[in-house]
Amino acid sequence: MRYNEKELQALSRQPAELAAELGMRGPKKGSVVKRRLVKLVVNFLFYFRTDEAEPVGALLLERCIVAREEPSGFSISFMEDPERKYYFKCCSEEQCQEWMEALHQASYEFMRRSLIFYRNEIQKMTGKDPLEQFGISEEARFQLSSLKE
Amino acid sequence: MKLNERSVAHYALSDSPADHTGFLRTWGGPGTPPTPSGTGRRCWFVLKGNLLFSFESREGRAPLSLVVLEGCTVELAEAPAPEEFAFAICFDAPGVRPHLLAADGPVAQEAWVKALSRASFGYMRLVVRELESQLQEARRSLALQRHSSCKAVANRCKPQALDYWSLGLENGHSLPRDYSPVGLGEEGGSRWAGRALAEGVLQGPANLLLGSGQSPVSPETSCFSTLHEWYGQEIVALRRRWQQRTQGSQAEYGEQAEQDRS
Repeated sequence: MRYNEKELQALSRQPAELAAELGMRGPKKGSVVKRRLVKLVVNFLFYFRTDEAEPVGALLLERCIVAREEPSGFSISFMEDPERKYYFKCCSEEQCQEWMEALHQASYEFMRRSLIFYRNEIQKMTGKDPLEQFGISEEARFQLSSLKE
Repeated sequence: MKLNERSVAHYALSDSPADHTGFLRTWGGPGTPPTPSGTGRRCWFVLKGNLLFSFESREGRAPLSLVVLEGCTVELAEAPAPEEFAFAICFDAPGVRPHLLAADGPVAQEAWVKALSRASFGYMRLVVRELESQLQEARRSLALQRHSSCKAVANRCKPQALDYWSLGLENGHSLPRDYSPVGLGEEGGSRWAGRALAEGVLQGPANLLLGSGQSPVSPETSCFSTLHEWYGQEIVALRRRWQQRTQGSQAEYGEQAEQDRS
């Protein structure tokens, strides 16, 4: 699959939702834990060698599974292979919770569901579609029918 | 740069909602010259959120390309071949070439430009936050209306209804991670009410309410009906995630909404 690395590199320089130095271990057998600067930008998780400006890699976070890994760590894996995990080590319980919560919300799909929920709640309570004032009520991305799960 | 390509491709092919699809002519691709020329290659494009995928055909089993729609603008453009309905995805970042695309006609062209212009994560986030604060407003005014219109029947549901709405979204700290639904003591009652609001699971608390002698037809129970209605299979996932979200970030959003209003 072709993609423009420069697009991703530019994205990795955008303001992050969350950024920290964490221990990171890849999914391959025999991987060792390395210190990485981990940066959450929109629905991507970038990871950098601590002294480099360009990321080593990126993870798209749509349909990811975030799980607790004792002690004070978490893992990210994906629906097509849930056991293939990227491991992250935090320095404290609080940091681990903070990252897990941020990652749970860091997907377009999550935001879409929230929006549709709010839209319908407001509509039921006020009788008005809150998106009409913005002229976007017909957009596909805001429709209840787009929820399939 | 590494990318979890297998997962990305899996997401592209999954039944997650597509925000726009259609055939477009494209000029990027392996072996193509840096300056677009000729009639381009016709591919099937799928927009999911802030990700634009292309496939060889509608039945393609692997995406050909991915464009991440962040930090870009979409403009009408001139195509190398005449009478094409072309547009370009242009990036702010230096050194990133624009993607030139062409639709089959003016209607498709306009639809694509609109869909792609609003595809960014940031745009979606703005709309979500706006609706979130509107919902808080609606709930607050509804609670106030109900509070003032309720007569003084000794009804423990009433104070909880107020706490219910105000606790739910504004003060994430009041939502305990673990709670034991033990009776309706003032503090315990409002805590589980807040939690129930967040979690959207009302069977337990509603039973507790009715069990302690409340009338099932009390007017206050209608304040639960909004949430009851949505207790459906298709949004269990949403509620779970929303609950996790309110535990973490609601204090922040509440502040943000306050700032935005002032």
